Amino acid sequence: MSADYILYALMGITAISILMIMFERKVYRIIIYTAIFSLIISGIYLVLGSPDVAMAEAAIGAYAIIFMIVMAEKYYKRDKTDAEGKKKAPVVISKASSSLPQVLGGLVFVGALAALFVHFAPTSVEANLELRTDYLLRAGDEVGGQNVIGAILMAYRLYDTLFEALLLVIAIMAVSHLSWLGKDYITKGRKSDIQKDKVAFYSIRIISPLILMFGIYLVANGHISAGGGFQGGLAIACFFICRYMIHDIYDMPVKKVLKMEEIVFMALVIVAVLTIFLNVDVPYQHTVLFQNFQLIAANALVGVKVACGFFILFYRYITIERTEKLEK
Amino acid sequence: MQILGMATIEFFAIALFFIAIFGLITSNNAIKSIVFMTILNAAVITFWIGIGAREGSLPPIMETPDHIYMIGEMSDPVPQALMITAIVIGFSVTAINIIMMNTLFRRYKTSDWKTLFKMMREETVGDGKILSDIVFIKDEKDFDEEGAK
Repeated sequence: MSADYILYALMGITAISILMIMFERKVYRIIIYTAIFSLIISGIYLVLGSPDVAMAEAAIGAYAIIFMIVMAEKYYKRDKTDAEGKKKAPVVISKASSSLPQVLGGLVFVGALAALFVHFAPTSVEANLELRTDYLLRAGDEVGGQNVIGAILMAYRLYDTLFEALLLVIAIMAVSHLSWLGKDYITKGRKSDIQKDKVAFYSIRIISPLILMFGIYLVANGHISAGGGFQGGLAIACFFICRYMIHDIYDMPVKKVLKMEEIVFMALVIVAVLTIFLNVDVPYQHTVLFQNFQLIAANALVGVKVACGFFILFYRYITIERTEKLEK
Repeated sequence: MQILGMATIEFFAIALFFIAIFGLITSNNAIKSIVFMTILNAAVITFWIGIGAREGSLPPIMETPDHIYMIGEMSDPVPQALMITAIVIGFSVTAINIIMMNTLFRRYKTSDWKTLFKMMREETVGDGKILSDIVFIKDEKDFDEEGAK
């Protein structure tokens, strides 16, 4: 019963945060409320018994997306004076909240949609219980490890994981092509502002190796506890962002990282084809040691791939944020 | 507790979904629209996690062999595995959204939708033609002229 009350409290905070996002006009505050929303909703996932999803949502919703929006916002707000020192016309970030007809029309439209949904929706949805019991009972023997979600991601539904990795590659390609940059990295530009603030500087410096250690722990321990390749890879990418924030590094070897990502993706496909799709009968395939090794290898490959992908995405955004001044 | 015949978490997820659609319709700022897209994604994920949850809300991790007697209290692993995929895909979509917004901003220097559409409508190219007339063909006559060339 107490878990229910925690759930209701978290839902209430989420509702408040989403209302604050809706009625806020300043973009920085919207970003902060979005981070709060993502953290609270990951708490809801945790209470509902899914720590893996909670970890992924917290890392992506409250860190990665926030980082990107902050970079975009910094890019929008920069250079308020032009070359002659005159003040430019202010950039319109958010002019005003919506007009009354817009709000009323939106309310009518969404209300009609919701009424239709409530009228036609089934009263309560039940997931497929047979499949659930089947996976829970069989995963330990067939795939190994103790984390059933890891077993599903790395063995039963490896197609999904492969296509997800492919989609991340496509996103990186799209970002690289849409970001109007001829070169991959720059060696000049503005300095990072974080070195002025000693508290932030030293605290990030102390925390960042711990983040790296946590990421490696998540990847290596993904088959026996909550965590896995995606969450660990994100944590490792976060370590590189911390390094950027402390040391203000410009000339990261982005091309080498890209090459590494390609090689790791090919290795992942080869491992998947050999062990899952072709069903090669390896000796000792059903021993605990072999199964654990296989799961750790798959998790590590996914982790390295995700870390490389996110690192390139982050670095692309940093480069965009910094390069405009050089362009003029 | 049940609301409108649904469990609380399902009602919450569906309400979140419709609120996000409302926000998408009424937001004037592009960053706000992107934020509401992520909230839409989170609503769908909440729905699937909610229907997979059980009374005991244990995570589907078999720490010891004894846990096999507790699978009645464990939440469903299949939606969880799929939702991790959905989260990463939602992130990819958001990354592309933000970079497209940056490209638009670099050209028009605004992230306000109304100003943006107004500027796009009035933008001219080399010989004084309006850009949107060329990109979006309005009359059949224009189409024939373009096709003839």
